[in-house]
Amino acid sequence: MKLSKSFKPARLLGTAMTSLALLGTGLSAQAATDEYLLTVTRPNQLHVIDTKTDKLLRSCDVPGTFGNGGVAPSPDGKIAYVMTNKWEDVVGFDISNCKIVFSMSQSTPKEQVKSIISMAISADGKELYTVQNPVTLHKDHFETQQPRLAVYNTADGMDAKPVRTFPVDRRITKLGYIEATNEVILGGGDVKAINAKTGKIRTLAKLQNWDRSPEGWVPPDAFQMHTIGEHIGEYIMPYFTIKWNGAPGDMEKAEFLWGMTRIDTKTGELTSGEVLPFEFIVFNWLTDPNDSDIVYGAFNTLSKHNIKEGKTLKVHNMPHTYYNINMLQDGSKIYVGGTSSDISVHDPETLEKIGSIQLSGDMSTSDMRIAKVQR
Amino acid sequence: MKNHSMKRVIRFGGAVAFLGLASTASAIDGPQIIKENCLLCHSETGNAEAPFSRISQQRKTPEGWQTTINRMKSQRGLSLKPEHERVLIKYLADHQGLAPAETADLRYVLERQPNVVEQNVPEHVAGTCTGCHSSARSGLQRRTTDEWQKLIHFHMGQVPTIEYLAGHRDRPWFQIALNETAVKMGEGYPLQTQAWSDWKAKPKAALNGQWAVSGFVPDKGEFTAVMSVMPNQKDNYITLINGHYADGSKLTGSGSATVFTGYEWRGAIVIDGRKMRQVFAASEDGKQMAGRMYLKNDEVMGGRVLAEKADKAATLVSVTPSSIKQGASQTLIIAGANLSNKVSLGNGVKVEKVISQSADRLVVQVKADAKAAIGQRTLSVGKQTLENAVAVYDQVARVEITPTESIARIGGNGGPIPKRKSTYRAVGYAAGADGKPGTEDDLSLGYLPATWSLKAFDEVAEHDNDLKYAGSIDAKGIFTPGDAGLNPERKMSTNNVGNLAVVGTVKDGANSVSGEAHLLVTVQDFVKELIQ
Repeated sequence: MKLSKSFKPARLLGTAMTSLALLGTGLSAQAATDEYLLTVTRPNQLHVIDTKTDKLLRSCDVPGTFGNGGVAPSPDGKIAYVMTNKWEDVVGFDISNCKIVFSMSQSTPKEQVKSIISMAISADGKELYTVQNPVTLHKDHFETQQPRLAVYNTADGMDAKPVRTFPVDRRITKLGYIEATNEVILGGGDVKAINAKTGKIRTLAKLQNWDRSPEGWVPPDAFQMHTIGEHIGEYIMPYFTIKWNGAPGDMEKAEFLWGMTRIDTKTGELTSGEVLPFEFIVFNWLTDPNDSDIVYGAFNTLSKHNIKEGKTLKVHNMPHTYYNINMLQDGSKIYVGGTSSDISVHDPETLEKIGSIQLSGDMSTSDMRIAKVQR
Repeated sequence: MKNHSMKRVIRFGGAVAFLGLASTASAIDGPQIIKENCLLCHSETGNAEAPFSRISQQRKTPEGWQTTINRMKSQRGLSLKPEHERVLIKYLADHQGLAPAETADLRYVLERQPNVVEQNVPEHVAGTCTGCHSSARSGLQRRTTDEWQKLIHFHMGQVPTIEYLAGHRDRPWFQIALNETAVKMGEGYPLQTQAWSDWKAKPKAALNGQWAVSGFVPDKGEFTAVMSVMPNQKDNYITLINGHYADGSKLTGSGSATVFTGYEWRGAIVIDGRKMRQVFAASEDGKQMAGRMYLKNDEVMGGRVLAEKADKAATLVSVTPSSIKQGASQTLIIAGANLSNKVSLGNGVKVEKVISQSADRLVVQVKADAKAAIGQRTLSVGKQTLENAVAVYDQVARVEITPTESIARIGGNGGPIPKRKSTYRAVGYAAGADGKPGTEDDLSLGYLPATWSLKAFDEVAEHDNDLKYAGSIDAKGIFTPGDAGLNPERKMSTNNVGNLAVVGTVKDGANSVSGEAHLLVTVQDFVKELIQ
C-alpha cells in the first residue's frame, strides 16, 4: 500500500510499460518471481495457470468430492493446499508435478468437522490453519460444538493431525496471516486475530458488534469467501451497511454503503470504514498494487473505484456472473473468474477484456489464488 | 373394475407414497415397525407414554412424517418395505398428528397452494426459519423444547453453511436459533396441547357415503360432482366421482383416499384420464370436507374444493357465478345433491326457468329487475339456504386479480424440471353504498370472466424486454413461462426470467374494468419438498 505514490507515474505509462516500470522502482524481487494462478473446477481438479502466457500448465486431480474449491498457496508458491471433500479435508499439491505432499481429514466417525472456507498458511510455510466447525454425531442426534482453530505442521505430510487447537468464534470464513505479529486473522462477524501458539485472541475490527447506535446504522453484513489480496500482502473483509439519515427504516433518506476492513498482512496495520456507495454487488474488493486508493470489484460487472473519493471510475459489463477476482503483483492484469468455466483477463487501466482462459469444468465458488515462485 | 383402478392408483402414488392404499396384508403395527427398523439409532426410553427417543417427542402432519422418513431413507440408511412405510406414516400421523384446530390456519402448505404470501409469521420464525422454509412448515409441528433445540442442532449438522447465509450471518444465528427461537417454539408449539388431547378423545366420523362436491380447476373451470366414498380398509376408501364442468361437459373419475389423524383426507384420483391429488380436511363432525385438488404432475393446476356429505338428504354446496347485474339475465349453476328445483333469491330476482337438473347440480336461469335492491342475497333451494350467495349489483367498479403477488418458474426445454405455471382469476367489486370503489363497503361480486394480457412491470423489465421472453398468458388466465436455459439473445445470456404485470379485464356492459397482479418469472425450484 505504501508503494502507491512511487508507482503512480509508472501507471500512467500504461500496461505495456509495467514491467519496465517495476524494474525502475527497484523491486527486482518481483521481477524475479513467476506468478501462477491457482483455481479448482468441478468435478475436482486443481488447475495451474502460467500468468505470463495465460495458458493452463497442468491440472491435478483432487481426491474426494468437490467442496468449495478453496486454495491456499504456500509462501514459496510451490505448494497449493486445496480444501476438498465437502469442506472437510485438505490436500497439498506440489504445483510443478501434481504430487500430493500433504493431506489431512478433519472428520471422524464420531465428529463431523467442516471448515467453511477457512484455511491459511503461516508466513514461514510451516503451519497450516483451519477453523473447524465440529458437530458431535450422537446415535440419534447432532450436537453443535464450539468452533476451534486447528494448527497442522505442513511437514507432517500425509494424514497429518492437528498439533494444537484453540476455541474461536462461530461463522468464521476467510483466514489470513499477519507476519509482524505471527497471528492468524479470523474473518467472521468481527475481524479478530489469534496467536496460534497461545490461542490468545484480540479484536482487530468490531463489525457485527460495533459500537454504533442502531438508530443510526444497520449492523454490517461482513462476509468474505474468495480473494484476500495476497498479490500485495493484504487482507480485505468487505461489508455492507445502511446509514439511517432519517428514522431507522426510512429508505428514502438512507445511504447504502460498502465498507471494508483492510489489513496489511506484513505489518498488521489496519483501516476500517465505509468506502463507497452500494451501487454494485461485488464478492470481493481488490486493491491496485500501484495505488491503494484504487480498488476493483467483480460480480455481474467489473468495476474500478477510488475509495478515497468514494467514486466509481469505470464499469465494464461482464457476459455472465463472476464470483472472484485477482490480480498480478505488478498490477498488469486482472483475472475475473469463478462461477462458470472461463477466467476473463482484463486491463486494469481500461477494464477491457484482453484474454480468456477456458477450463474443463465450472469453478463454482472456488478460490482463484496467486502463487508466487522465486526464479 | 374396482381392483383395476386401485392398482393404477397405487402405481401413480410414487412421489407421495402414503397417498396409495393402506396395506392389505400387513399385520405388523407402527410400534413394531419402529422396533424392527429404527432402534439401531433410536433408543427405547422405558416410558410407555413416549417410548422412542426423538420419535415420541414430536407431532406432525402426514406430510411431515413422510418427510422425516424420506430423510431417514436417503441420509440415514433406513430401508422400509413400501407397505410398512405406509403403515408407519399412518400410525405416526394418527397417534402423533395435529388436531384440526392446529392445522386450520396453515393448510395452504399441505394443499400445495401456490403464491401464498404468509401472514402473521411469528417474529422468532421470520428471522430464523423463513429464509428457507415457509413459516407453516414449523407451524405444523409440535415438539418438546428439547426437541426443538435438537432440531436446531440437526440443521447445524445437516446444513453446516446455515449460519453463513445472507440474512443469518449478520447476527449470531445459531445462538439465537438455539436459545431463543427453539425456546419460543417449545412454548408456542409444545408437544402436549389441549387441542390435541381433546381431538384424540373425540370419536372420529367415518367418511363413507355420498358427497356433493363443487370445485375449480384452472384449465377446465368450475365443476360440480357427486363423489361416492366406499370403505375399503380402515380409514381407507375407494372413490368414484361423476359430475359436470360449468360448460356442461361431463366429469368422471375414480381413485382412493386414506384418512390420517381422523380428518386428513389424502386422495389420489384419476379424473378424465388426468391424475389428481386431493388434500382435504374433514370437519370434526365428518359432514364437510374442504381443501384443494390439483394435477399430480402440475400442482399449480388446481383449486378449492368444497364437499358436503349428502347421502339421501338435500344438500346445497355452492352457486356460481355469485353475482347478477341489475336488469340482466344470468345462468346459475347450483352445486348440490337431492335438491328441490324451487329456487329463490328474494325480491327483484326472478327464476325464469330451470334449465337442467342432475345428481350433482341444478342449472337455472334468473333475471334481476333493473331496480332490484343491490346487495348480497340468500339463495334458497327448497328448504336449503346459502347466505351471501349471490350479489345483485349496478356496475363493476373495480377488479382485483388474484393472486396479487405470484411466481412462475421457467422449465422444460429438455431439462428435468417442468415449467411452473401461474393461474389468475378476476374478482369483481361494486362500489357499495358510498359510491366509491376501494372502500370497506365495496360489494364482492365473486369471480368474473376476464380477458388476459401481460405488460412489463417496470422500466427495467421494459428495457430488458421481459415481455418477449418470460412467457405468455392464455384466455383462461393461465400463464406459461418460457423455456429453461441460457438465452443468448438476452443481456448476459440470462434465462427467460421476467418481471411482469398480469392484466385482467372484465367487460361490464359497455365498460371495461381492469385489475393488475404482479408476476415474477424466475428460475427453477431445484429443491422440491413435500412441505415447502
